[in-house]
Amino acid sequence: MNRYFPLSILALAILAFATLMLVIAPGIQIGRHSAPAGLKPYTEQEQRGRDVYVSQGCVYCHSQQPRSPDQAPDGVRGWGRPAVAGDYTYDTPHQLGTMRTGPDLLNVGARLPSRDWHLTHLYQPRAIFGWSIMPAYPFLFEEKSAAGPEDVVVALPSQYAPKSGVVIAKQEALDLTAYLLSLDRTYPAPAEALRDDGYSGPEDAK
Amino acid sequence: MTIENKGGANSFHQPDENFEPYEQHGKMPWPLIAIAIGLGLWGAATLFDTREDVATAQADRTAASQADTGLTTDPGSALFAARCSTCHQPDGMGVRGAIPPLAGSPFVAQGPELVATILMRGIDGPIRVNDHIFNGHMPSFASALTDIEIGALSTHVAQRFGGSSEAYPTTAVAALRAAISDSGSFKGGQDISTITGLDFGNQPAGKAQVAHSLTPEVSALIFTGRGEQWACASCHGDLGQGKENTPRLAGLSADYIVKQLDDFANGRRLNESMRVVVATLSDSEKRQVADYYAGLRVPSTARPELGGDLARGEALALRGDWSRNVPACFSCHGPSGFGVSPEFPPLAAQQAAYTASQLAAWAGGHRNNSSLDLMGRISRQLDDADRRAVADYLASLPPVPAGEAEQIARTGVRP
Repeated sequence: MNRYFPLSILALAILAFATLMLVIAPGIQIGRHSAPAGLKPYTEQEQRGRDVYVSQGCVYCHSQQPRSPDQAPDGVRGWGRPAVAGDYTYDTPHQLGTMRTGPDLLNVGARLPSRDWHLTHLYQPRAIFGWSIMPAYPFLFEEKSAAGPEDVVVALPSQYAPKSGVVIAKQEALDLTAYLLSLDRTYPAPAEALRDDGYSGPEDAK
Repeated sequence: MTIENKGGANSFHQPDENFEPYEQHGKMPWPLIAIAIGLGLWGAATLFDTREDVATAQADRTAASQADTGLTTDPGSALFAARCSTCHQPDGMGVRGAIPPLAGSPFVAQGPELVATILMRGIDGPIRVNDHIFNGHMPSFASALTDIEIGALSTHVAQRFGGSSEAYPTTAVAALRAAISDSGSFKGGQDISTITGLDFGNQPAGKAQVAHSLTPEVSALIFTGRGEQWACASCHGDLGQGKENTPRLAGLSADYIVKQLDDFANGRRLNESMRVVVATLSDSEKRQVADYYAGLRVPSTARPELGGDLARGEALALRGDWSRNVPACFSCHGPSGFGVSPEFPPLAAQQAAYTASQLAAWAGGHRNNSSLDLMGRISRQLDDADRRAVADYLASLPPVPAGEAEQIARTGVRP
C-alpha cells in the first residue's frame, strides 16, 4: 500500500462523481423549475409557526411528502396528490421527514382547515382521539380566569377543561396553527413538474 | 449423445467405476437451419404483404362496434352518451314522470343556443314539456364541460332531437359563458320563458328560493362555533363545499344529514371529530343545521385527483360490475348520482378523497351504518383502484341541484 497518489486520485474522483450525480445534476434539474402558480410564500406569522414546528421536532413523527397511489393510499386518506419538487420552493430547510408515526401533513391545511380544531388538538390530542399517541403541548397555552378581548379561547370538552377559567392560546400556538393551515398544496401540479411517479412511468400515472 | 465406454475388444473388461457420462454438442444439420430461416422469411414477408388488410379489418371492426352501440365518431354523440343519456335515455325520450324528453321538446326545438344555455345554467324548478310537468333537477355543466364540448353537445342535441341544422360554434359558447356567468340556474320553465322571451305555453311558476333563515344560535354554531364545538364551516367550508376527505354538505338531503349526526352521537358512525361536535347538539339544532346545508346551491369544488381510471369509474357508476356482484351506483343513488332522499345521498360532485375513504371504511368495517349493510357488501367487492376510479368519476360530475356561481363569489361572506 504505497501507491498513495493513484489511490487519492481515485478516491477524489469517486467523491466528485457522487457530488455531480447527487448534488449538481439534481440542482440543475430542479433549478430550471419555477414555483407553481398556486403556491404562495409563507407570511411572517406562518414563518414563525414554521420555526415552532421545527423546534418542537414535529418532523420526527410527521412526514410532508404524500406518495403516489401505487406506493401508498395517501390520496384516499385525504393527504393530497403526490408531491412535486416545486411544492417545497419556500421550504428551507424542507421538513420532508422519514417517519409516519402520525399522518402526513403537507396538505393538513386543506383537509383540516379549522384553526379551533388545531388548537384543541395541540392542547390535548386525547380530547378528540382517545387513542392518539401524539404528545400534548400544554406549554403553548395558558390558563386564565377570564378571556381578554384579544384572547383566543380553546374549545375543550368538559373533562379536559380546567376546573375554572379558560385555556388561552399563546402566540406560539397561534403561529404554529397558522403554519399548519398554510400547508395546502392541493393546487394542480404544473404539467412539467418533477414528480414521484412511483413504479409507473409518467404515461401510466394519469 | 452420451458417450459410453467403447465396446469391441475391451467390452468384457470391468467397466471403469470412476467414469461419468457427459454430453457433447452435435452439429445441427444445415437443412434444418435453412428451413428455419426460410420459415422466418416467409412469416415476415406475409406480415409485410398483409399489413393493409390488418388495418382495414381493424377499421371495419371499429365501425361495426360503433354501429352496434349506437356511437359514431361525432364528438357530440359520444358526449351525449356519457353525459346526458343516464337521465334523458339514449333515445332522448326521458323517463315518464321524472325526466323530461328531449325528442319533441319545444325547448330543444329552439335550436342549439337555448340548449347550450340550459346546459350551462341548469334547471332547478318545475318545467312543462309537452303535456307533462317535471320537477327539474338539471345540473349545470358549466364547470364540467369545456366550450368545445358544450358546442359539440348542443349542436348534436339540437340536430338530433330538435330538427335543427345549425351548428353552434365554440366562439359563441365562450361569449354565452361570459354573458351568463353569474346567473345561477333557471328556476323552472316560466323562468326560461321570461329570460329568453320565447313562448313555451303555460309554464308552471318556479318557487322562489327562500334564503334559509337561521336563528342566531344556529348561525353561531355553523359559523363561529360555541363552547366545546368547532364551527361547522371551519372544516366543511363556508358554503359546505368540503375539501379532500372533509365531505361536501351542500345539497345533501336534510334527513340524511340528521341521520348521520344522530349516528355520530350514538356511536353507530365513528368519527372522533364529529363525535365531539355533535355531543351537545339538540334535535332541533341538528334539524336546523341539516336544513341549512340541504338548501345550499353551491358549484362543485371537487376534482378527480386520486389518479383513478375515469372510464372504469363511469362503468361502475352507470352499469356496475356484475362479475363481482356490484350494482351500478346510479341504480340506488339516482341518475347522475343526484341522490334519492332520504336513504341514498347525492354522490355527484362529492370530494373524491372523501368518497374513496368512505368506501374503504365500509370495506374495512370502520363505517357500518347503512341499512342492510348494503354499502359494506358493495365496498368489499371493490379493490383500491376501483374505489379511486369511481370516486374520481363522481367528483367529475356536476352537482345536483345546480350550484350558483355567485355563491362561490360570496365565500367568506356570512349571512
